[in-house]
Amino acid sequence: MATRFGWSPLEVRINEMTKTSKTIGAIPFVALLLAWLIPGSGHVYIGRVRRGIIIFIAIGGAFWAGVGMGGVLTVDYHHERWWFIADMFTGVHGIVSGLRQQRVYQDLAKEAADEGLAVPGVLPPDPVIQKKLAEKGLFPQTATASVARVYAGVAGLLNLMCIFDAFVLTMMGQAREPRPSREQAP
Amino acid sequence: MTVPMAWTLFYDPVVLPYYSQVWLILPLCVVVATVYKTIRTKRLNRLFLEVVASMGYMLAGLVALGAALWLLRLYWS
Repeated sequence: MATRFGWSPLEVRINEMTKTSKTIGAIPFVALLLAWLIPGSGHVYIGRVRRGIIIFIAIGGAFWAGVGMGGVLTVDYHHERWWFIADMFTGVHGIVSGLRQQRVYQDLAKEAADEGLAVPGVLPPDPVIQKKLAEKGLFPQTATASVARVYAGVAGLLNLMCIFDAFVLTMMGQAREPRPSREQAP
Repeated sequence: MTVPMAWTLFYDPVVLPYYSQVWLILPLCVVVATVYKTIRTKRLNRLFLEVVASMGYMLAGLVALGAALWLLRLYWS
């Protein structure tokens, strides 16, 4: 159904949301980027400071509890790619963990190349990786590692929900804490 | 060279007894309920009660699901 200027109702709604986000002085994509980079900071940016702090502690706590349980290979690009994608939604937490696991694989590739088991600069085949990881006491496919990945991955998915929330709230111009309705007011 | 304990903790996996792993669902439920209710609740001073209620629903659902799967397993074996 076309409306004024030939816009669809969805286009009209998006236009209204963009106008409202301008009036509260918050830019939706900045909220989105901040919410991804540091969990909770998107909510702090739009004026919901206490919520932002709770989100930061809860998501950071769950993520690092997972990494604490499962070790450096909890975030594992080579063996658990779907969980890796979920981990990356935690922003800086996921990036730091991703760089740490990358370092482990780089060291492992260097060792394998020195021993003649792989071509220099190329990741060795999976059996060699598993053997080398086992020598370091790292086992990516254990029950504890699975639980750890669930913790880190769920933290990422929860932050995805928070990113979406911060973005939509900014678009709708609902920054700051909501006012209590008449029946909720003390 | 001395390795800082925090580095070892976040590098090496922790060995957990197999049957203790089921209890790790509780902190995860707390985190899920806390984050969900933090963004959903209208009044932040009621957050604790809402988190507790939400956790209750989640645990009841998980127990019901577990019981249903256990009964299904009994039926098929």
